[in-house]
Amino acid sequence: MDNVRSSASITLSAWNALFLREAVSRVSGGRAAWLWLLVENSAHLMILMVLFSTIRHRIMPGFDFALFLAIGIVGYRLFRNTTMRSMAAISANRALFAYRQVKPVDVVLVRAFLEGVIQLFVGMIMFAGMSLVGFDALPHDPLMVMVVYGLIWIFGTGLGLMLSVGSTLIPEIGRVAELFFIPMYFLSGVMFSPSMVPPALRDWLLLNPIMQGLELARAAFSPGYHVVAGIHVDYLMAFAFSSLFFGLAMHVRFARRLLMQ
Amino acid sequence: MIVVEDVHKRYQTEHGAGKWVLKGVSFTIPPNVSVGLVGRNGAGKSTLLRLIGGVDTPNRGRIERHCRVSWPMGFGGGLQGSLTGRQNAKFVSRIHGHELDIPDRLAYVADFSELGDAFDEPVKTYSSGMKSRLQFALSLAFDFDVYISDEVTSAGDASFRAKAAEAFKNLANRAGLIMVSHDEGTLKQFCSAGIWLDDGRAQWFDNIDDALMAYKESITA
Repeated sequence: MDNVRSSASITLSAWNALFLREAVSRVSGGRAAWLWLLVENSAHLMILMVLFSTIRHRIMPGFDFALFLAIGIVGYRLFRNTTMRSMAAISANRALFAYRQVKPVDVVLVRAFLEGVIQLFVGMIMFAGMSLVGFDALPHDPLMVMVVYGLIWIFGTGLGLMLSVGSTLIPEIGRVAELFFIPMYFLSGVMFSPSMVPPALRDWLLLNPIMQGLELARAAFSPGYHVVAGIHVDYLMAFAFSSLFFGLAMHVRFARRLLMQ
Repeated sequence: MIVVEDVHKRYQTEHGAGKWVLKGVSFTIPPNVSVGLVGRNGAGKSTLLRLIGGVDTPNRGRIERHCRVSWPMGFGGGLQGSLTGRQNAKFVSRIHGHELDIPDRLAYVADFSELGDAFDEPVKTYSSGMKSRLQFALSLAFDFDVYISDEVTSAGDASFRAKAAEAFKNLANRAGLIMVSHDEGTLKQFCSAGIWLDDGRAQWFDNIDDALMAYKESITA
């Protein structure tokens, strides 16, 4: 008992070990796994581009439509992947709780962080690639872009923390959450702007913090983009930090139940 | 020294709280003593090991660990199938705060486990004997005062078992072992004292032979 490690140093070394391990299995697990991370987003963008350029021609005032879609796809996938990956973190890492240094909250937070890092790189490569082929893909207000994507990531982390507890204690919650992301995709305005929607419907759609976040990101990219009234960064921020708070609180409250088999 | 005091444990089942697995277990394990845990299937042996290892917490009572205790080595626990033996060993080194001397630990694990080239293959391709060799080597690579083994030794072949027992004899003056095994020979080879778990209670025997005898009498009676 001469040199006992402090709780903080144990947690930090657990995070370090978990991060490296998750990163290895995410980036090098399977054939060219890292390539797929890049391809997924670009393929998503291309499918939507083909859809909109052949079926209907859409013009977005003050915006290139491809860039408009790309901003939405990057933001939405950041949210979705962070939430879903962290939700599954506990069941995927059950074997590791044999080491008492590793707690459920650690594996969830590490996964959320890794997903944020991955999506950061994927997003940067995507926008850089678009700039290279001639799109005006450099943001007008980069700081705001970072704030908005950062908040979307925190919201995903908070939701992931809550859902990881929920789906471990009640497995049905995990299934419902997966179903929930299908309408969420359409309700988040990846493919449209709330300004195209009749005002009566728009007020309802704007209750969705992700829709607000995507609009804020678009406005930060292009100064000429018209943002409808009722969109504030505070709204997304409130969702992000309250979900993070409740997520962490749930992990404290159910710490013991989560470890039971 | 490990003090277990009036420990109660039950699990949550789909129909509410389950039956009490442990109802008032108390004993003290002195330093450097190797203890074998015997009892029927479902008597709570693995549960008790998980509690001593700090993986789970008792519903009532308390467990004090006045020493460094290993994780419970056991089937499936602690190894990630998609990663190689080496990657798993690196992970365990890191969470135990040995980031800086990973090469030394890896060399020890590779040498002791005798896995050869399989050390760089994914753990899911291992046989159960190879897995237990890896787990055993992993825990011996760190200086614990008490090592916890849940059936892991019995999966290795005779020569590996002899090697592991030999390694423990060398540690005997500074470390203890708590193990569960259904193999009498293994228990006698490794342990001096014994604990018999029956009906949620524990009985301490200074000699493993007495514990085995009490256990066997309870089965035949």
